[in-house]
Amino acid sequence: MEASVETSAKKAAKKLEKTSAGSLFLPGAVAPIERGDPYLDVDEYDPEADLMVLNLGPQHPSTHGVFRVKLYLDGELIVKAVPYAGYLHRGVEKLCEKLAFTQITPIVDKNDYVSPMMNEQAINMAFEALLGAEVPRRARYIRTLLAELQRVASHLLWLGTFALDLGGALGGGSTLFLHCFRERELILDLFEMLTGCRFHYNTHTIGGNRHDIPEGWTARVNQALGVIGSRVDEYEELMTKNSIFVKRTRGVGVLDGELCLELGITGPLLRAAGVDYDMRRDAPYHAYDEIELRVQTETAGDCQARTLVRVREIRESIRIVSEMIDGVPEGPICGYKPIKIVLQERSAGGQAYAALESPRGELGTWVIGGGANKGTSPYRLKIRPPSLHASACLPYVLPGHTVSDAIVILGSLDPIMGEVDR
Amino acid sequence: MGAKGLAKNEELDKLLQDSFGVTDIPADAPAIVDPARHYELAEQLKSLGYRMYVSVVATHYLAQPAGKTGPETPEHYEVATLLRKTGPGAPVAAWRCKVEIGGALASLVPLFAGADWQEREQYDLVGVRFEGHPDLRRLMMPEDWEGHPLRKDYAIDTACTPWR
Repeated sequence: MEASVETSAKKAAKKLEKTSAGSLFLPGAVAPIERGDPYLDVDEYDPEADLMVLNLGPQHPSTHGVFRVKLYLDGELIVKAVPYAGYLHRGVEKLCEKLAFTQITPIVDKNDYVSPMMNEQAINMAFEALLGAEVPRRARYIRTLLAELQRVASHLLWLGTFALDLGGALGGGSTLFLHCFRERELILDLFEMLTGCRFHYNTHTIGGNRHDIPEGWTARVNQALGVIGSRVDEYEELMTKNSIFVKRTRGVGVLDGELCLELGITGPLLRAAGVDYDMRRDAPYHAYDEIELRVQTETAGDCQARTLVRVREIRESIRIVSEMIDGVPEGPICGYKPIKIVLQERSAGGQAYAALESPRGELGTWVIGGGANKGTSPYRLKIRPPSLHASACLPYVLPGHTVSDAIVILGSLDPIMGEVDR
Repeated sequence: MGAKGLAKNEELDKLLQDSFGVTDIPADAPAIVDPARHYELAEQLKSLGYRMYVSVVATHYLAQPAGKTGPETPEHYEVATLLRKTGPGAPVAAWRCKVEIGGALASLVPLFAGADWQEREQYDLVGVRFEGHPDLRRLMMPEDWEGHPLRKDYAIDTACTPWR
């Protein structure tokens, strides 16, 4: 186990040397922004100014769920932003302490409800590390395929809702939104064919997968990806060649790389800020060490850069799936029999952390085993949601922007509230 | 070695042994560091390139009488902190600090802005306090909530009134 980690790290190092000169930030990356002050005392801020308090959310459609931001406005400009989370808090971590390891997968499906596959994979990777379970090669390939398909579906949903956030700027209101959902359906159809469920799959388990690739699935995948691939080009043109879109996103909501790292922001937001970092390449898991990944980066760090990175990632994911779909190795899809898992769970001690690159960034799980006499449940489980870290940037970024820009910035972060609150 | 699932981090182990007097580095969990030097360790790791704030995990442990599992231990918290270097291999530096009930751990907010919400969440759910945190409020639960839900003495069926 350790040896394999070592070699993949070396491979990643070689790849990185080729792509950048070892510097943390890409050349031309955005300069550090002037950060807003989250602890600003509004009573001491300019007594002449007549500040207005505006509650954005929790039911505002642009908050993508239930999220509330209290804005202090000086005229049209935001002076201070105070976000409030927790409206969707369901106590998933407490619930997991009462369930057996194998019962947890369907519960965490509902965390990031736009990419449930990622939740399942992240949590099972941590359990596999804790219990010392090996995943067969075929299962690792299937997981990679599912992860990339899920990334396409998730980014498509984001693209559609982001176009809604921008209002009627993009071809009349909900046009792009509906088109993106139409393409997303193709991917949900593929998942339904594989697992029997369209949304909450419960297809991953400790040591592998529960559903094997059915007959005819490969052809359907190729067909669906062909359709999506051709239409993504249209959407990119619609977004990048529309002058209203460019005016509303260029230079808006700039996040610099240093702030991203400090806040723990990962994924497309970090890559759009000029940091060449992707866990799929730098700390490979699943079967990513067997494929060359072209990490998509931008240096401007604004809403337009995030859009470009995500659209390119759709294309990159399509390429990965098309290259891997024909090379899925034969073999078992699950390395462990359920009875064996139960026996191992009883003695699982120690602590484990495993993370993967979800469409929103590093989705990790910290799990503490119960030890010899604590039964078959984890003693403590902590999910590290990328959306929580992303929405923590609002107090730093929003000050200085107008309210209409705040909607665009919040949309461009792609926060999923089920994951923020858990 | 750090936790299971994380690659061995020799840089961290060397730093802990040389400068922080840690002799016992367990094989399946992060090393335990003196809580008084928690902030100092984070500061040194940041200067070594561990600039991404990954997470903080607080765990509540009930008092254990002396027995098969080990000597008698009082009720306490354990706070694990994770930092990451965004280079090849993306190594993670993880360590734990033991915090007694009623005690507090130094907050990392001056070093990492991201520690703000993470520490608030752990305070909210587990109850461990962070000293020097500029704004230690609840993050997930309502402001008037009683107790900390992820503590081990908080029953999962504790009655609650619907919120507001």
